[in-house]
Amino acid sequence: MMRTLAIGGFLTAVLLFAAVEGAARREGSRIPPLGEVCAFVMRYEVGPVPVGRIGLFGFWWWLGWHFLAR
Amino acid sequence: MDRPRELTAEVPRAWDRPVVSVPMLICLSLVGGQLPSFSAQANLYTLGTGGALIWLGLSNRVPRRPAPRRLAPGAVWWLVPVTVFGVFEGATFALSVGDEFPTFSRLADPLLEDHLVRSTAWFAWLAAFWGLVRR
Repeated sequence: MMRTLAIGGFLTAVLLFAAVEGAARREGSRIPPLGEVCAFVMRYEVGPVPVGRIGLFGFWWWLGWHFLAR
Repeated sequence: MDRPRELTAEVPRAWDRPVVSVPMLICLSLVGGQLPSFSAQANLYTLGTGGALIWLGLSNRVPRRPAPRRLAPGAVWWLVPVTVFGVFEGATFALSVGDEFPTFSRLADPLLEDHLVRSTAWFAWLAAFWGLVRR
């Protein structure tokens, strides 16, 4: 029962990601695509340090290591 | 002397074109998909490919697409899937009752044992990483 709930919850999240991305790609949409949101986050800098870029790269690197190396 | 802007054209590098980068990512993914979980090779390969992409992304060797200065107000919609995922990941991680109420990675583990699925996941990871580097 709890397992089904977990699978359902994660599946819902994945479908919601796809739905929002789909809505963002429609003509004249006010929702930015995920790539644009990432690009905006990566603009964040503290002085000369590209904190947003380092943070997002680090997160993505960790995600790959977590799923693909362990 | 500076050249007028309209007369300069950026020539894309060969490896920067999809016809070169996509087959390269496929080759890297096929290799990654063959490496077993928890092995030193898998760890080194992940660290190596990710490290190289981070190096490319932090240096100015790859041309980047212009980033938006502001986000449209509709960006808050992204909080919906992020919150749903975060709630379930947080709950399953906090309760940590194993297969009874599994985390996302525990659910993905048996799927990633298959070499083809693993290679596909590698490709998705590398392609998204390459996309981030270009941003």
